[in-house]
Amino acid sequence: MLTIPGRRGRLCDCRTRREFLTAGSVSLFGLSLAPFLAWQKAQAAAAPRLAGMKGFGAAKSVILCFLQGGPSHLDIWDPKPEAPSNIRGEFKAIQTKVPGIWLSETMPMLGEQVDKCTLIRSMSYTPEGLFNHTAAIYQMLTGYPPDKVSPSGQLEPPSPADFPTAGSHISKLKPPTEPVLPFVELPRTLQESGVIGKGGAAGFLGKAYDPYRLYQDPNKPIKLDDLTLRKEVPPERLKDRFLLRKGLNSSMPDLEKALKSYALDEYYEKAFDLVLSGKARDAFDLEKEPDKVRERYGRTTFGQGALMARRLIEAGTRFVQLNWPAVANGNPEVDSWDTHAANFKPLKNLHCPVLDRTLSALLEDMHQRGLLQETLVVAVGEFGRSPRLGVSTSGNTNAPDGRDHWPYCYTALIAGAGISGGKLYGASDQTGSSPKENPVHPTDLLATVYYTLGIDPDMEIRNHLNQPRELVKGKPLVGLWS
Amino acid sequence: MHILLAALLLASVQKPNVKVVKLVVEPPSLAFSAPGEGRKVLVTGLTGNGEKIDLTSTARLQPVGEAVTLDKDGFLVPAKEGQAKVIITAGGQRTELAVTVSGLGQPRPVSFIRDVTPILNRVGCTSGTCHGAAKGKNGFKLSLRGYDSDFDYRALLYDMSGRRFNRSDPARSLMLAKPTQQVAHGGGQRIELGSRYYQTLLHWISAGVPYGDPSTDKVQKLEVLPSEVFMTRPGLEQQMLALAHYTDGSVRDVTREAIFGSNTPSIADLKPSAVLSGQRKGEAAVLVRYEGKFITVPVTILDPRPGFQWTAQPQYNYIDQHIDAKLQRLKIRPSPLATDAEFLRRVSLDLTGLPPRREEVLAFLADPADSRTKRGRMIDRLMGRPEFVDHWALKWGDLLQSNRKALGDKGMWAFREWIRKSIAQNKPYDKMVRELLTSNGSTFENPPANYFRVTRDPKVAMEKTTQLFLGVRMVCAQCHDHPFEQWTQNNYYELAAFFSAVGIKPGIDSDEEIVYEKRENYDVKHPKDGRVVSPRFLIASLDAPRVPTDRRREALVEWLTSPKNPFFARAIANRVWSYFFGRGIIDPVDDIRASNPPSNEPLLAALAKDLTDHGYDLQHLIRTIVTSRAYQASLAANEWNAGDETNFSHALPRRLSAEELMDAITLATGSRPKFPEVPPDFRAEQLPGPHVGVGGFLDLFGRPARESSCECERRSDMSLPQAMNLVNGPTLAEALAHPKGLVAQLVVAGAPDREMVEELYLAALNRTPEPKEYDTAITYLQKGPSRASRAQDLLWALLNSNAFLFNR
Repeated sequence: MLTIPGRRGRLCDCRTRREFLTAGSVSLFGLSLAPFLAWQKAQAAAAPRLAGMKGFGAAKSVILCFLQGGPSHLDIWDPKPEAPSNIRGEFKAIQTKVPGIWLSETMPMLGEQVDKCTLIRSMSYTPEGLFNHTAAIYQMLTGYPPDKVSPSGQLEPPSPADFPTAGSHISKLKPPTEPVLPFVELPRTLQESGVIGKGGAAGFLGKAYDPYRLYQDPNKPIKLDDLTLRKEVPPERLKDRFLLRKGLNSSMPDLEKALKSYALDEYYEKAFDLVLSGKARDAFDLEKEPDKVRERYGRTTFGQGALMARRLIEAGTRFVQLNWPAVANGNPEVDSWDTHAANFKPLKNLHCPVLDRTLSALLEDMHQRGLLQETLVVAVGEFGRSPRLGVSTSGNTNAPDGRDHWPYCYTALIAGAGISGGKLYGASDQTGSSPKENPVHPTDLLATVYYTLGIDPDMEIRNHLNQPRELVKGKPLVGLWS
Repeated sequence: MHILLAALLLASVQKPNVKVVKLVVEPPSLAFSAPGEGRKVLVTGLTGNGEKIDLTSTARLQPVGEAVTLDKDGFLVPAKEGQAKVIITAGGQRTELAVTVSGLGQPRPVSFIRDVTPILNRVGCTSGTCHGAAKGKNGFKLSLRGYDSDFDYRALLYDMSGRRFNRSDPARSLMLAKPTQQVAHGGGQRIELGSRYYQTLLHWISAGVPYGDPSTDKVQKLEVLPSEVFMTRPGLEQQMLALAHYTDGSVRDVTREAIFGSNTPSIADLKPSAVLSGQRKGEAAVLVRYEGKFITVPVTILDPRPGFQWTAQPQYNYIDQHIDAKLQRLKIRPSPLATDAEFLRRVSLDLTGLPPRREEVLAFLADPADSRTKRGRMIDRLMGRPEFVDHWALKWGDLLQSNRKALGDKGMWAFREWIRKSIAQNKPYDKMVRELLTSNGSTFENPPANYFRVTRDPKVAMEKTTQLFLGVRMVCAQCHDHPFEQWTQNNYYELAAFFSAVGIKPGIDSDEEIVYEKRENYDVKHPKDGRVVSPRFLIASLDAPRVPTDRRREALVEWLTSPKNPFFARAIANRVWSYFFGRGIIDPVDDIRASNPPSNEPLLAALAKDLTDHGYDLQHLIRTIVTSRAYQASLAANEWNAGDETNFSHALPRRLSAEELMDAITLATGSRPKFPEVPPDFRAEQLPGPHVGVGGFLDLFGRPARESSCECERRSDMSLPQAMNLVNGPTLAEALAHPKGLVAQLVVAGAPDREMVEELYLAALNRTPEPKEYDTAITYLQKGPSRASRAQDLLWALLNSNAFLFNR
């Protein structure tokens, strides 16, 4: 429990922060440096207790492997060999590099890298209202339960009033210092049924903070139109244009003065840098990687996506969200984590080999390059799956060997940023049905992400109606650093 | 000795040349009627030149006799019944305060509502981040900011089977142990052991936790001293006092319990103990809140501005009179008129959404008539154009949320047509609102009925109606009384009840729906106790019509559109104003509340009156606004108005809206973009809904999705992705390179350098170039081998320049 006496007082009347927010919420500055500096100042003033705490501000960037669909925790990272067969399932548990940590036999390569990560085996929450993927994804990534449900029982599509996804908050609060994209989402959108992208947008922060969406298969050559100089405009010509524009603006000084708060020149300079420096574009270019590395990550959409994520982080991107590339709503032939219709065969043949290879490669590679020290890596889905086989928890029908949605207990992998490796955080009960110790709500996980980046999870934000909201209502898991 | 000290202190705070000639004390006398209640007074020094200076903090109070004493916080507390006086010395002057003390023998019984809830609110227990949160905190829930004392009382008494009180040993009650952090408390220490609040709580628990009598213990009126703050320069301070009045005539000084907040701390900030500190020149409002009562205190801070002289500018109509009056008072010098070319571009964009064409620019500049006359003629001409209808139909389409998703394809087009007709006919605004709100029948045959397809729930319909037509946001009051406003949860449901009988059923066509009046089962129930709520107007004191049960919406419209309605005309006048000045007189325009006061009340009142006097003629309002000098002012600031953004002393540049930008690029480059699913010649401003070209250029530049009627849905900020799109994106690149576009035409026609440059400037910036601009541009044209690509570069730079991207 993390509470420091006296601090709440400031939160409750929040004048210091309101003042800062009034300045920032003019929202004309967008990604400019001004609000960042103001924010840093406000943070230092508002959260002296966090500065210097273990893990606070330990990471510069985040890779979130978002395993949408809801992977079965029992069949991946929280095996229950002692449980009855209708819970245990078909897979055996295997010993890993770290004594005392067992994984499912589906994850042999990850077993060799377990010393670099912590498994949070007590992820848990009880959904408010809707019990489906979109609602859960929204909860996981924004920290808030969704409140608008359409008559069909599905969530409403993304709306400008939505709570912002974590990456958007981060790209606003911690804009990158290099000419790179702040927040990249790949290789496909978040989705369930007809509702696309819910929980994956900047919502009330405004589109300026939406992710750069690269919805292409990184395992194939990709196209980057706006980052690639147009054929007819070589760098020299673009530079000419840049100078012409500058000259024009400075010939109308009154207007230039009146527009100071828009920080237009900063945006233009950044845009030019992005296009001209090629740094952002290069980060997407996997041809620059040796074959050996590409093979190590696996020649799959997810595997090459993870490699691209590493390259982006290396270039200075703050937040990369790597979504699991398949959503098929229970189709047993496809590697979607939503394994209602069949669990074991697809996991064994389709999903787990990809996940195992990719995650282990990512941890190993990041570690070897020294990147893991300053990057937070998280792999988690929107929920786990029902420990008992063939039962319905969500109203969906399930095959006898299928597993249904299970938000009450599941596992998240977390690594980097000085988090102790080879550890378990929290534990599930004998059947993986509920946390036995240290339950972790998705908001706690989000709070940890913000905290690791040096953002006070308790800070007040303002929505589109200028109403005060909490960044996230969770507590950072400071125990991860012990 | 004390006087000397006070004088020294004064000298360090105030400027030495200020000489106080007289002291004024507020209130002028004090009457104590119960033991234990402290009072404070404001001590103001009047200087020789008529300034008022707050001397409360340095004043010395000397009670004469034993009736009152001074406590350590500087409050006078009664000690003995009888008459007395207090000698007050400050700023080298001296005065007396008369005091009466009575009722010391009959202490007022301690009560939850009078004594305890103010403490819970003050120390933060009931705040939204603590136990006032929707779900409470750590298993303990109180109402947000204590708006529901009944609920809070029950929560304290009966949650946890009453374990919060230790009746045999009150001091060991959990209710005391928690906030004093004698046991672990997630919210930290809120109350000090033995403090005044601690004593009150202990006293209350010892007395058997009485609830009190709402008829005498609830605050009847809140008073704040001073009622208005006026500082002649930044750096001064003003003590504020909050007084609660009760029905029995008693008054309590609640300065320490009331919540004081400034709406602009960078102008006027509040320090502890309700001391207002002037930070810089400007205006602010202090909102004082105590037990569900609110008061707003306007604050004006001037600066000395030596050398300022008011230079009168011409006044074109009453708008300029009101603006000048304010500017003169604040010592702000307005900017002169914008040039004819600047005016033409600005007014064309604001009235029709399009910049002027080259012929119009040349003709207007060549017109020998005097500037005011030809500007007036141009305004009339622009308001008669079909693009005027396009432009205003787009705004109303946004506000009324005309979109295909909610209305279906046919419904959307029908609604669009109704909106366009209403604008083309200049339908009086009250009539337009009446048609919308009382609409029934098929959404195809009676398009205004689409209003209710977007807002199918009575609560949503009410929220939208109040925000759109009254500028009032009720949304907070759905779950709790509005935290910063007088609106209560009861208001919310009483207003929603006006829409409860609206029914929607499927029509004959698959896309069609029928709006009808339900005859039964339409009651709105209060979430707290499930009782049926009857419709009631927001301000009941108005000569409100009776509400017949079967014609609720008609009654609402009657009330709404009455010229006496304090919101209706003001809200639309303010909204329309904001379209021309980039901000409302009240801003945001749809967040009208006491704590968000207008920057110029007489101006807003005059606009609203003018509008009702002219039968809600919106075109009259628009014409009045654009013919004012204030609208036609230059954006160039002078040394006296550079920092002013709220008093309309100069123009503020506004980024072109998504649609304006798209259409302006098209017009300037002579290109022809194609939008899917609409006739081929449609401009962006004519598009029927946000589904056309979704996810593209328009959305990137902030086109609203029409999912809410909030003005905030349209964004006009600048962002990195936007800059990237303009620098390297396809929209501009393809428009520039259009094979039949402006550059191609000029190159093919073999236009000489000078003509080329002039045409590019006319197309992009709607003016002719200055001599230096000719030189620079011609040099650039001659520098490279490909004339077409050099010309494209020039046009590219012009279209990326501030002067193009902004309405200025």
